[in-house]
Amino acid sequence: MKNARHVLNTGLKVALVTTVMGVAGQAAWAQDGKTITTVVKISGIPWFDRMETGVDLYAQEHPELNISQVGPATADSAQQLQIIQDLIAKGTDALAVVPMDPTILEGLLKRAMDRGTIVVTHEADNQVNTMADVEAFDNAEYGAALNARLAECMDQEGKWTTFVGSLGSRTHMQWVGAGEENASQYPGMELVDANNESFDDANGTYEKAKEILRKHPDIKGFQTSAGNDVLGVGRAIEEAGLTGKVCLVGTGLPNPSAAYLDSGAITAIGFWDPQKAGMAMNEVARILLDGGELTDGMDLGVEGYNAVSVRQGAGEGKLVVGNGMVIVDKDTYKERLF
Amino acid sequence: MKRDANLLVLCALIVVLLSLGGAVSGGTFLSMFNLQSMATQVPEIGLLAIGVMLAMCAGNGGIDLSGIANANMAGVASGIFALSLFDAYQSPMLFTVTFAVGCMVVGLMGGILNGIIISRFGITPILGTLGTQMLFTGLAVVLSDGRSVTIGAPDPLYALGNGLIFGVPTSFLIFILIGIVLGLILRYTPYGLRLMLTGANPKAAIYSGFPSGRIITTTYAISGLLAGIAGIIIAARNVNVKWDYGTSYLLVAILIAVMAGVRPEGGYGRVINVVLSAIVLQLLSSLLNFIGLSNFVRDLAWGALLLCFLAVARFDLINQVMVFRPSRRIPHATK
Repeated sequence: MKNARHVLNTGLKVALVTTVMGVAGQAAWAQDGKTITTVVKISGIPWFDRMETGVDLYAQEHPELNISQVGPATADSAQQLQIIQDLIAKGTDALAVVPMDPTILEGLLKRAMDRGTIVVTHEADNQVNTMADVEAFDNAEYGAALNARLAECMDQEGKWTTFVGSLGSRTHMQWVGAGEENASQYPGMELVDANNESFDDANGTYEKAKEILRKHPDIKGFQTSAGNDVLGVGRAIEEAGLTGKVCLVGTGLPNPSAAYLDSGAITAIGFWDPQKAGMAMNEVARILLDGGELTDGMDLGVEGYNAVSVRQGAGEGKLVVGNGMVIVDKDTYKERLF
Repeated sequence: MKRDANLLVLCALIVVLLSLGGAVSGGTFLSMFNLQSMATQVPEIGLLAIGVMLAMCAGNGGIDLSGIANANMAGVASGIFALSLFDAYQSPMLFTVTFAVGCMVVGLMGGILNGIIISRFGITPILGTLGTQMLFTGLAVVLSDGRSVTIGAPDPLYALGNGLIFGVPTSFLIFILIGIVLGLILRYTPYGLRLMLTGANPKAAIYSGFPSGRIITTTYAISGLLAGIAGIIIAARNVNVKWDYGTSYLLVAILIAVMAGVRPEGGYGRVINVVLSAIVLQLLSSLLNFIGLSNFVRDLAWGALLLCFLAVARFDLINQVMVFRPSRRIPHATK
């Protein structure tokens, strides 16, 4: 009786799991072509959803290749690491990675390259173990441009603060660093409580921004970095009734930010189109897969990457820098709504 | 002797997942390289899960939330210490030994702190370890300025995280070895027996004259030591250590322990089940990555799996009741 129960239980569960897996498995291994897989920091957020449209577009243009995008469900470098490790074991030919934390991936990406996997990264110009790192623009120029817009709104004076996705997010640190440098030419601007970590979480950023507004009632400006930061800070500004009194300039996407741009809670957003970046990364991966060379001034066939600057990267790989910076405000964002 | 339903189910699941993976991937899933790759991923989370299991066994709502934070702190603190003494590439052996011992010492101290907070001050484990989790994370941030610490890849350390012995990843062997040793300790030493009895009935344990404070402190100390070892393996695999690595491990470690049939009320848990349970989760998530499904599906699958195991535990309970009843009636029948 008892044994029968056990067998029944085991059988039932096995059947259940098998069914789930079977349904899931149908999508896999459809094509025989070379595989390029894009691994993003976190899936399901607008920024990387937009990147996926680029990856899909590139997949349509190149039906001979097996192209897809994956990413962890939680923002944890350990989760991204596991996904990449499994993809390498699966025999993926090329990886296009947007590292959550470049340093954590160094060991694994080195092993991947040793094994013959093509590695292309994005938003990680300090990544040593990569063949090419694709950047949409020069990070220092972008950070300075954001800050210039902020300074203009703040009339070059008052307290301001900065948000980054995480302290390990190198590009974010570069932007706020360049922002600080730009602000240093205005003696009236005082940086307070710099480099708040947002973990790209709009709710967490909202709470943090509320704290800052309480702590510094006279704050005049926010410069944010991760894609969701403007939403959190914008909401905090709007709810505090400070719309128009506090300036907010940061990285963000037009569609999610539209309401706050219209209300004036967000002064301006800067971005590069992740769709184009996704396509550019895949194109670079394809060139490397075909054994091609990356040359200065080459055209990747993607808007904003028509004449890329190719420099020596942090390691042996190349640094590919495009010209894809966009800063829009209330009046201009509708031209680039996505 | 009662059959261990969890053990059977876990073994069956491993077979099913392996064969399913082989079938869906056309064999790649069962390739030596992938098996090794999956095996290298198990130890860090597996060690943390064993730590959670030990804490749960100690009873009184025992749990260790500080595992991954302790591992990161151990890696960061010991890394900074070892780097200040030796050059990783000039004296690789000395460096590796210093780093590894340092990690274990820091992890152990973290664990002892947990144990003292819980046994001496009578703080509920979930609150006590939540506090130390934040403390450890904070210490790691302060020590490293929030940046990652580059440990480097000196040979013995690199081999520890990525090397193979007879085709089996070294880190996996270490994990299995630790599992065996702990399994034996729990089963055959007075400490093991007392731990389970304390967990099953703390009051009775005190009246029986068990040194429960010492037992609990020892248990959390072992859990901390395991976290320290996980810290070594993380550093060896990734070359860099950082305070925010593996934030998602916290819940996954608890999931593994519960799936392994460890009783959250305390008093029961088997190391072999935790090892198998960690392997099952790894196989499942690797399989989903192979298929290329969204990682949200993985969370869903894990949740479904957990509910399944809870259901199995329930059914087992029913079995026990059914076996128990007739045996009570027997005296009446023979009267």
